[in-house]
Amino acid sequence: MTAPIRVNGRPEHVDDVAPLTPLADVLRDRLGLTGTKLGCRAGDCGSCTVLVDDVPKTSCLVPAGQAAGHDVTTIEGLVGQPEHAALLAALRRHNASQCGFCTPGIVVALAALLRDAGPDGPTRDDVRAGLAGNLCRCTGYESIVDAVLEAAGEAA
Amino acid sequence: MSARRWVGQPVPQTDIDAKLAGATRYIADLTVPRMLHAVIVRSPISHGVIRHVDTSRARQVPGVHAVLSAADLPDRRFGPYGEDWEVLASGKVRYRGDEVAAVAAESVAAAREAAALVTLDLDELPAVLDAHHATEPDAAQIWEHRPGNVANAFEIARGDLDAGWAQADLVLEDTFTTNRIYHAYLEPVGVMAEHHDNGSFTLTVPTHIPYKARLTYARALGVRPQQIRIVVPPVGGSFGAKYEMLEPLVAAVLARASRRPVRLVYDREEDASIARPRPPFWFRHRIGLRDDGRFVARETRVIGTAGARLFWSPSVLATAIHRVDSLYHFHAMAGSGHLAYTNEPPTTAMRGFGNAESLFGVEQLIDEAAERLDLDPVEIRRRNIVREGETTLHGWHISSSQLPACLDRVAELSGVRERRGAGEGAGERGTTGLRRGVGLAVAHHVSGYRPILADYDGSAAIIRAGGDGRVTLFVGEPDIGQGQATVFAQIVAEGLGCRPEDVALHGVDSALSPDAVGTLASRATTLAGNAVEAAAADARAKLDRFLEADQGEPIDAGPDGFAEELRRYAVGHCGLPLLGEGVHRPPTQMPNAEKYGNPSSAYPFAAHVAEVEVDTATGQVRVVGYWAVHDSGTIINPSTARGQVLGAIAQGLGWALMEDVTLDAGAVTNPNFLDYRIPGAGDLPDGVVVEFVEGEEPNGPHGAKSLAEAAINPVTAAIANAIHDATGVRCRDLPMAPERLWGLLQQAPAPRDREEVTV
Repeated sequence: MTAPIRVNGRPEHVDDVAPLTPLADVLRDRLGLTGTKLGCRAGDCGSCTVLVDDVPKTSCLVPAGQAAGHDVTTIEGLVGQPEHAALLAALRRHNASQCGFCTPGIVVALAALLRDAGPDGPTRDDVRAGLAGNLCRCTGYESIVDAVLEAAGEAA
Repeated sequence: MSARRWVGQPVPQTDIDAKLAGATRYIADLTVPRMLHAVIVRSPISHGVIRHVDTSRARQVPGVHAVLSAADLPDRRFGPYGEDWEVLASGKVRYRGDEVAAVAAESVAAAREAAALVTLDLDELPAVLDAHHATEPDAAQIWEHRPGNVANAFEIARGDLDAGWAQADLVLEDTFTTNRIYHAYLEPVGVMAEHHDNGSFTLTVPTHIPYKARLTYARALGVRPQQIRIVVPPVGGSFGAKYEMLEPLVAAVLARASRRPVRLVYDREEDASIARPRPPFWFRHRIGLRDDGRFVARETRVIGTAGARLFWSPSVLATAIHRVDSLYHFHAMAGSGHLAYTNEPPTTAMRGFGNAESLFGVEQLIDEAAERLDLDPVEIRRRNIVREGETTLHGWHISSSQLPACLDRVAELSGVRERRGAGEGAGERGTTGLRRGVGLAVAHHVSGYRPILADYDGSAAIIRAGGDGRVTLFVGEPDIGQGQATVFAQIVAEGLGCRPEDVALHGVDSALSPDAVGTLASRATTLAGNAVEAAAADARAKLDRFLEADQGEPIDAGPDGFAEELRRYAVGHCGLPLLGEGVHRPPTQMPNAEKYGNPSSAYPFAAHVAEVEVDTATGQVRVVGYWAVHDSGTIINPSTARGQVLGAIAQGLGWALMEDVTLDAGAVTNPNFLDYRIPGAGDLPDGVVVEFVEGEEPNGPHGAKSLAEAAINPVTAAIANAIHDATGVRCRDLPMAPERLWGLLQQAPAPRDREEVTV
């Protein structure tokens, strides 16, 4: 791997990593970014969702070599960005997390969903569709949907 | 009761910022210097004699520090219920997945490589793959100490059953089956073990019952309990699966052998392959009623599957047989059942704990009785439910109940009385089309259960409030993601005069926290909550005494002045933090030899209505509306309480319609989230209505009692009753998946498809 991976805005040189190593392992084991959780390593649960060039991806299925030269945003980078403050505050108000293991991946997916929503913001169905790639066993999703709509309403 | 400042408020969870930011560190996020990675070698066959386990080639893999089989360990059997656990299988393997050998290596890859080089010389034996066949004379014997493969049995009888049946105008009897459900927590099982030079261990384990687990682990490792320190990290979901696990022992023996810390984290496939699911049950339920709808007798026979070793299935069985007698007055009953050993993955506790399984059948029979007797489903339940102040058949004392009000409210919200039988949707019964129906079910549960631990049933709490203004709470009941830290913080804030966000619940650590029964049987809010309330009162009283002596008058500066009060206290005590201790001794009884006695402090209740749309062409069921009304006494946090109910409904819906751990020749065939589907956001109805009818539970902290298990208990039955209302078909087996329902729709277009027994 020649080009660095830009992770949360910082170039990370991980030349010694085998190109097929899952990006999630590089983030967690090499860079210590353990906010990216591994729930299945098969792209089914969404706990490891990160943004690659602003698009949500399950980082367990992205080979590190493919991320070289690209921008990767993890939950650690995302929580510091002011444009997501309303989303985080709404999730907090709605207690939209229980055990919390799936939560970072869901926050990343929702951040992208809100950014891509039109000027009217997403509908409840849009939010549910946007969560199709993320499993949560605790909440039943309803508090998450409520929080996203509230955050979108504030932004509008 | 004076006005409450924090109890009853929807405050944000005290740990939610860390969870949202990905800063909560679960076991797989924890590393320690020199840590090794463990991999388990499992039996590839269901049943067989172990001739030899050859670890010699595995030991030569670079980076490998220990490879163990039973030959390297003392011959010890132990376990929470029987002497049927071993750290690694010796003599025989008893299911596909049984732990036979284990490797610790510098990397997961090296450990996997070595594990693949362990060779097993096994003589295959006939396997028992069915609980009903297990107890037949020709079935293979799985454990020598349990001939006939009966792992555990439970029997109870009360009242004059013959007289009861003699009074019955209508007797309904049917068979119901409930299935294996994978807990499907998002965090796969993981543990870490460290072995110290003095022979002691530190085990980092996401257990909910650390005190009891420590006793089991001490026996297994041949050390005194004091030589094991158990540290509970944040738990990424459990729902009963992570009570008392075998994995910490595998990591512990590897740590002892390698003299290095060892972490063992499953991948999803391994986790779901051994699964340790909800035990599947076969029920034969029989109930007798007079023609005014009053119950006069019931009998239940239950057969369950323990799998190859006993985890917590025996308590689940007992619950499945007799807990319903504290929801309804049946006046006379007999219940019996057993768990069969099979050569299948062991089964264990899951939210609902046998009560949910039992109610799937009982609530359908009651619905059917209502139809036969032309009573509405609310009324037949109202005539039979236990009431506040009553003592039930087995001596359980119902200190509070708002179930009648819950029934009224859920009927009002959902319109179930008017809409049931209305035949909404297109087409006639038995024809192709979308059919809508509504179904009601009620439920209850416990708040703690006296028989869990012989020593005591209560709880203890310690508060440490330092001069820096930080309040740390120690209890022995771990938060398993259900929001307990926040509920406790609200109780502390109420009594101590700080804010909830000032209070941090310390992760359970056996070196610091009180001993405890643990977080199970829906007991933590009620029992530990009382201890927390007492500890806060104790600390506040000490603080007030000091301030009064120091200032000459009592001062309560409120939350804004709290840090300053603590600073003064510490200065006045040469640095000693303010300490509060609380003990709660509940008014419960250990049931006697006849299983009579009140085992729980408080009983929560729920009334649910589901509305479904059934596609009669495909058997596909969509839940399109859901109403849940609960009595959990005072609601300490309406926001997190609502979250518990919504999550329980989602799990119940998955169980009812989607989920099933399937086995082929003893091997799980769907050990991943693609084939074992749990509900996603699109599978659940929008706008679920959750309400609470708040009473005051005299035995609970601030009048509160339990919630989160009561919330899953009625779900499968409410959906089943709604399906019947929509289609006329009774589905008596879980899951009510499209292929099963479609089959029923083909063979049974008539609303009555079963024999009526009239006495």
